[in-house]
Amino acid sequence: MSNETLEDLLRRLAPQVLGALTRRFGQFDSCEEAVQEALLAAVTQWPVQGVPENPYGWLVTVAARRFIDWVRSDAARRRREGDDLLATPPSLLVAAPADQPPIGEHDDTLMLLFLCCHPSLSPPSQIALILRAVGGLGTAEIARAFFVPEATMAQRISRAKQRIRKAGARFELPPPAEHADRLGAVLHVLYLMFNEGYAATSGAELQRADLADEAVRLARMVHRLLPEDSEAAGLLALMLLTQARRAARTSADGSLVPLAEQDRSRWDRKLIAEGVALITRALSSTRELGPYQLQAAIAAVHDEAERVEETDWPQILALYELLERTAPNPMVSLNRSVAVAMVHGPDAGLDLIAVLEADERMARHHRLHAVRAHLLEMAGQRQEARDSYRTAARYATSLPEQRYLTTRAAKP
Amino acid sequence: MKYMIIIYGNQQLWESFSAEEFQQAITAQDAFNRKFAETGELLGAYGNADAAQAKTVRVRDGVPAVADGPYLETKEYLASWYLIDVENEQRALDIAAEVPFASVNAVELWPILHEGAGNTL
Repeated sequence: MSNETLEDLLRRLAPQVLGALTRRFGQFDSCEEAVQEALLAAVTQWPVQGVPENPYGWLVTVAARRFIDWVRSDAARRRREGDDLLATPPSLLVAAPADQPPIGEHDDTLMLLFLCCHPSLSPPSQIALILRAVGGLGTAEIARAFFVPEATMAQRISRAKQRIRKAGARFELPPPAEHADRLGAVLHVLYLMFNEGYAATSGAELQRADLADEAVRLARMVHRLLPEDSEAAGLLALMLLTQARRAARTSADGSLVPLAEQDRSRWDRKLIAEGVALITRALSSTRELGPYQLQAAIAAVHDEAERVEETDWPQILALYELLERTAPNPMVSLNRSVAVAMVHGPDAGLDLIAVLEADERMARHHRLHAVRAHLLEMAGQRQEARDSYRTAARYATSLPEQRYLTTRAAKP
Repeated sequence: MKYMIIIYGNQQLWESFSAEEFQQAITAQDAFNRKFAETGELLGAYGNADAAQAKTVRVRDGVPAVADGPYLETKEYLASWYLIDVENEQRALDIAAEVPFASVNAVELWPILHEGAGNTL
């Protein structure tokens, strides 16, 4: 930890400090504000005065003092208004600030994640709240990552916190019966955060890439807290195995490079090795094969092929069949149709796509038309392939995708 | 997912409102803006000047030529637009239906495909 930067240190401690405060005072929204102020104080003071011997204790003390100041001034205001109902019992106001690292620090971070993924919040709000409360990012940074004005993001975060309070959510681990569901929500939000970062390939590319990096950092944290959970391990592996291809995924001019055409020498071997080791361990120890593990396993098969021709398609097909049974979803079926085409020929894949197209939402999805175009190309039906690429381009939801599909349609 | 909601109109349409109707429209519009700024979904609401103030710029051989009036000669022009950021298309449709002008005439909803980082956003 000796070469940990100040920012890394603060962001590692942020959820622990917030956890300690919320456990002590209960008011998540105010505690969160207090922790942000303590982080800000640290950023301005530590570079000048040096990092305190016990940075955790320093942050807890400063944040708790801040919080108590607020409660006191609030209480004074209420007294002036003739209302003697205090928001916080007085015993809490005189409680000594915690200066020892908490015993339950792991549980604190987990409880924070559960709280941020409260079912009363929409996924975008959950992501924003996690980035701030657990990730220790400031509102301005989060706003930049989502291309929204800072005031808008501040509004969203404050609304999310209000909702949590109104829903009466408590800072505690959910009962064992709900544990799996709540953890599932946490993993899903991290998965969305990663995709949000990974899917954007142009414009402010770096900022979005930061979002993917942050999702990986948080997924690492969850895996560290719950090393026995195979889906948490699967999600981290999936992210690492996808992240490994990042450099090869766009060409110098920012255009998309599909998996089959990527320069595999640019893949990050270290990330692949780490992801493969993770997913291998998870798969060999689990009794329940979840969707993240299966997707990670598929990504691992792709990543392990030195050349695209060496891809083990029968194994990928078997994994997609398992995935479709575990978590049925039209996008999975669409991906399976590619594997079917690679194993049994393009016509077999095209038959599956025809079935999927009956679903109106899929019929308007660019991926369906892009996959069909690809399979038509495989089948030697050039003109039909071009038409499908054009349709796909019209339904594309991002500029790099649209450009890629238009270029493919224009190819002779 | 970001969307643009567009209102089209012309001077004749705006003049067809009585002073009272116009005042009501402004009140309804302010309420709409406030409501969706508070949900964190409205990124901005913009009103264009009249088409009489629009100019068209063409550059040929590196020399810009400025002409009075909009690029397209149409009966109705882009009058106002909103930038929203929502969870899905259904939510965008719900918000579009709440734009007061949707009850007067119609509004258009366009998904935003791409955006570059600016200094204000």
